[in-house]
Amino acid sequence: EEKSLHCEMSPARVAGVRGNRRQEYGERRVIGCSLLWENRRMVRPKASSKKKSTRGGGVDFKKFKRKLGRKLPPPKNATNTEIKSKAIILPEQSVAADKAGLAVSKKGLTLKELLQQSSHYNPKVRKDALLGIRDLFLKFPQELQSNKLAVVEKLRERISDQDKLIRETLYQLFKLVVLPGCKEDNQGVFISLLVAYVFSAMTHLSLDVRLMSFKYLELLVQHYPPTFSLYAEKILQGYDDILRKNQLHMEEIGKLKSILSGLVSCLSLLPSNQSEDSSISKVIAAELQLLHAFEADAPKHSAGSSHIFERLEGLVVVLVNCFNDLVTWVHSQPALDSQTSDCMLCVLQSVESVVRYFFYAREKHALQQLPSLPLEKLFTVFPIKSKAQLSEKEDDRYLILNIKISEIFFDLSRLSCPPVFLEKFLEFIESLLSREFSSVTRSQKVLYEKYMPTLLACLPELLKVVDYGWKARLLQAYTTVFRGSSPQSATKVACVTVAEELLVPHKQNSLNLDVDDQETLGHVLTWMRELPMLLIYLGDVQPSTSEVVIRLLVQLGRFGFSNPYLAEEYDNLQFLLQEFFVKQNNADTNYGPFLRLPKDSQELCVSCLYFFSFLDPCLLECLASCCLSQDLEPYILLRIVEVLHSAYKAGHVLMADHISFFITLVSKFEVTCGQALSVLDSEAKIPRRATLRQVTGVICSFLSQMGDHTLVFDMLEKIVLDTISLKLPADNRCALLRILVMVDSSPTRLSDQSITKLSKLLCEYLIDIVLIYPVEECGNSNYILHSRYYPLPCYLLFHRSIKLLMLVLNMLEVFATQLDATPLSHPAQLDSHHWRRITMVVAVFLMISKDDKLRDILSSCRNEMYHLMQSVSSILSKEESSMSIEQKHKANCAVEQLKTAISEISP
Amino acid sequence: MDSIIIASSSIDAGIGAWDLATGNELLRYKSCASPPHGLVSVGGRFLASSQLRDNHSSSGSGSVLYWSWHKPQPDVKSFPVEMIMPLVCDIGGNYIIGGGSSGYIYVWEVATGRLLNRWHAHYRAATCLVLSDDESLLISGAEDGCVRVWSFFMLFDEIGKAEAKHLYEHSFTEHTLKVTTVVVGYGGCNSLIVSASEDRTCKVWSLSRGKILRDILFPCIIDAIALDPGEHVFYAGGRNGKIYIAALNAASSPDSPYGKHIIGSLHDHSKGINCLAFCGDGTSLVSGSEDGLIRIWDTRSHNIIRILRHAKGPVNNILVVARPETILKSTASLGRKQQSLLPPPLEKYSSEEPIGTKAFIGGHTASVEQLDVTYLTEYVMNNQIKDIQQHGSA
Repeated sequence: EEKSLHCEMSPARVAGVRGNRRQEYGERRVIGCSLLWENRRMVRPKASSKKKSTRGGGVDFKKFKRKLGRKLPPPKNATNTEIKSKAIILPEQSVAADKAGLAVSKKGLTLKELLQQSSHYNPKVRKDALLGIRDLFLKFPQELQSNKLAVVEKLRERISDQDKLIRETLYQLFKLVVLPGCKEDNQGVFISLLVAYVFSAMTHLSLDVRLMSFKYLELLVQHYPPTFSLYAEKILQGYDDILRKNQLHMEEIGKLKSILSGLVSCLSLLPSNQSEDSSISKVIAAELQLLHAFEADAPKHSAGSSHIFERLEGLVVVLVNCFNDLVTWVHSQPALDSQTSDCMLCVLQSVESVVRYFFYAREKHALQQLPSLPLEKLFTVFPIKSKAQLSEKEDDRYLILNIKISEIFFDLSRLSCPPVFLEKFLEFIESLLSREFSSVTRSQKVLYEKYMPTLLACLPELLKVVDYGWKARLLQAYTTVFRGSSPQSATKVACVTVAEELLVPHKQNSLNLDVDDQETLGHVLTWMRELPMLLIYLGDVQPSTSEVVIRLLVQLGRFGFSNPYLAEEYDNLQFLLQEFFVKQNNADTNYGPFLRLPKDSQELCVSCLYFFSFLDPCLLECLASCCLSQDLEPYILLRIVEVLHSAYKAGHVLMADHISFFITLVSKFEVTCGQALSVLDSEAKIPRRATLRQVTGVICSFLSQMGDHTLVFDMLEKIVLDTISLKLPADNRCALLRILVMVDSSPTRLSDQSITKLSKLLCEYLIDIVLIYPVEECGNSNYILHSRYYPLPCYLLFHRSIKLLMLVLNMLEVFATQLDATPLSHPAQLDSHHWRRITMVVAVFLMISKDDKLRDILSSCRNEMYHLMQSVSSILSKEESSMSIEQKHKANCAVEQLKTAISEISP
Repeated sequence: MDSIIIASSSIDAGIGAWDLATGNELLRYKSCASPPHGLVSVGGRFLASSQLRDNHSSSGSGSVLYWSWHKPQPDVKSFPVEMIMPLVCDIGGNYIIGGGSSGYIYVWEVATGRLLNRWHAHYRAATCLVLSDDESLLISGAEDGCVRVWSFFMLFDEIGKAEAKHLYEHSFTEHTLKVTTVVVGYGGCNSLIVSASEDRTCKVWSLSRGKILRDILFPCIIDAIALDPGEHVFYAGGRNGKIYIAALNAASSPDSPYGKHIIGSLHDHSKGINCLAFCGDGTSLVSGSEDGLIRIWDTRSHNIIRILRHAKGPVNNILVVARPETILKSTASLGRKQQSLLPPPLEKYSSEEPIGTKAFIGGHTASVEQLDVTYLTEYVMNNQIKDIQQHGSA
């Protein structure tokens, strides 16, 4: 009976009757009995009257006599509940079970048991279970992988656990083990499982649970950032509630801080322009495969609904109030401790993210009806100051806060400018910019480094709105920072970027600087002059900064200057840039930073050359010596030549300078770099030989495009001949001869004087070639390929002037007969024996006679050939006595070859 | 339809005309030294070309010459205020657009010669101009490395101009050096454009999205581009004499010997390629080279079909146009009595009347076309009368 009573009463218990259990039960019993009794009285009167009538006695209750020790007989309608069984079989007993081969925790429990225990009524057991789960997963990671969903489903119930220690343990478990373990799967599922419990914990009665829920939220957002955009509205609602309704007292600043830091990390996920830019560049890097392909234009984030804006607006109101409370509290305190200032900073960062997002939304989605952000209250307290004397640390803290507020102000001024406060902020930024860098403390310097770039980034926007007086003051302050900041700092980079914004006209934010104003002009000139200096100073320490500077220089060149002073100044920059390429002290050449920069920067820098309206010979000289350096990549070398030619075509380089640049390049380009000249497979072993050939080819084609061939030829004739006679390596001479052939025409325009000179040079050159490519190796296919390359210009010259060929044959004769006639460039290989000279002359002749086209011309030089043969034979017979037998044999063979060759040509 | 090839050079070698089918030279129009992209056929009625500055001309001003099909001497000479480099005109031949050496772009009405508009388009000289296929957009490239897209609606909308931050629709600034050429694909404002620059790259842009789609680095500077009619590939003529085939929508292997996205090349030991044009059949490609030769290639077999010799100087403009009715077979049959039927020269400065009334408003444009139609019929009638007279006399 008692049992049934209990059941009947349970709704009352649920309704919240509290008190001593026993007492309660007692009362209940009383109430229950009376109820029951009432019931009976209501239901039974009739029945009893019937019974009375049937039984006839005046007795209400029949009295049984009971004897001690005897049992009551069972009632007649009793159901037999006896269970009979032959055996009892227990499936397993956990303690005794065989767990070999199963994943168990330190205490020998399986995951299933641990999960069961995690909802045990005893807090201690629950905690142990959680710790056990952690051990288990650390030891057996695959256990987590296979049971993820079940684990998360069970554990999430503990998010709103009453016990603080358990919530902490669970937090650690999620943070360190579970969430990192779920990284690679479809995280959205887990998050959706967890988020519902986190939200319900946010509305829990206990403040501690609510605070903890924000920590969980932060954790989720950190692990899976889309969480925020998916549940943005609810999340913001949660923050709004806790900040607005729960009047966190200033004493609990630590708790406030933890909430705020979570809010900052959430709000930083709101899209803003900065993040957008990086994603665009990623898209370009990914490279589209199909150009006409359809591009899905579904919105990338779902936080763009209009409700969000209202929510955010509400949140900003709460945050600003919170901030003002903090300010008043701080004023009542003796000092600004780090925790409070961190709190305030968090508030400001959150506000900033919201402002940026509003700006972004307006730009991107062209939303006009955005609620305006009520930030006036924030700006009225600016600048935050303390009346008392401050320690250095506190001073920094105030500075950071003030900088943050002004950043918010400048960001907001892009949305809608509240002009009331403008003056105040301008004064602040001016004082900050124009502070002497030498006078600040070290900690402040670090601060400046951190915040200056963002403040400077606001500058172009500001200059657009302020009046003339302020413009001058701000520009002055900016110039001070530009000059004063250290070259490797982030501030300098920011300064250069601002200069780009201000000077490059196509930029969105560019303002037309009033360069007719003397003062502004002065500033602009200072910035421009600073750039080459900066490049030289930076060297190759910070290639990224160098690239920014070079980019600015190129942009300035590209978009030109309408102001003649600035255009002139830009041209003058090339004098400052010389040192960037080569530092010349006396005879020594020290290469500047240019050669050590990455390839992209070098290429960019080369394109800068095109935009100078004239190129000074000094700069060309520097460039030439850069080009000759072995460290310069062939690609950049070719680019330099190309760009210079474009500059020439545009009239920026004088023809004489241009030609002498080409000649210098070709004649001084070192192919062998001091190594001994190798004979064959030149391409592989001497990559610079291929480069020289490529450059020669390019230069030849450029020279042929230069217009009037006669004029170019007149300019080149003397200089090429003079350079060839300078005892250069064969490769360079070959290149020069090719140039000469390119500009010459058929029949030749060479003067008689030059032909005489050239005949001597060609004779030496041909003998050198024979030395490089000995005839014995003509079987090699490589040989045939390269052997044509060197003598080809000579063949062409012979073709154009038969006189030259005759003179060369004469020179060969002189060479063979007179030992002292022609000192050669390879004296070491050439002892003064006649037999060697004879063999070489014969080799040259054979080489020439192999060319089909030359044979026809040779046939008309009969006299010269006979002379050659006669003098060779006579010298052989005269000197025979001084030769060894082997030498004699070789010389005789050579003469025989010569005879047959000549007789073949002119029988 | 009969087509002819027209080519001009940067040295004073005249304008050559050849029959595409037979390769016979038809007539050489005299005294023309055109800059790249400086030769147009105005509505098929006559030829116009801007001229490179020669020292004899009056200082500062440039010149644009007209040749009628049947006369070797230039018929009409105009002297714009500065040197005009690239020229372009619409298909109907109603408007001529020219890019100046100071970065200004000029729009003239052909029928009257009136200067309708001019605006500061670039910071340095314009190098090439091209119209989109629906003729609503003008795309210009310049020495400063910018490629800009202009809408005619905007250019003649005084109110819109005052409100807008900038006149151009898009400004692509990714090229670091002079833009050498720009071509536009099909599809009006949704088309692709391909630009080449002296920084050795060709870049593919989307007009609708206003952003870069592809960046291709070539082994040399590209001076000429021709789009394959199907827009699968484009042909890029380089300064090293090769014509590279680069992929647009075609598959390309990443380890091609020429570089990424470059599929192959056409190659014939020539000097630098200055200009390219596709013939009407969609398979023959005409290239003009620095060595003065015009080569006609079969793009399917990569072989040369025919070589035409223009002059000693470089060929820097090639047009493939429908054969005009009155072109002469040779100089021998020059009719002396024919009088000039060409429109008046282009104005140097815009006339006193406000330009606004002459904008491209529907009604006005229609009236211009009306004018053209009458002009054309008169032209045709004259021809027919002439024919009849000749028949009669014969």
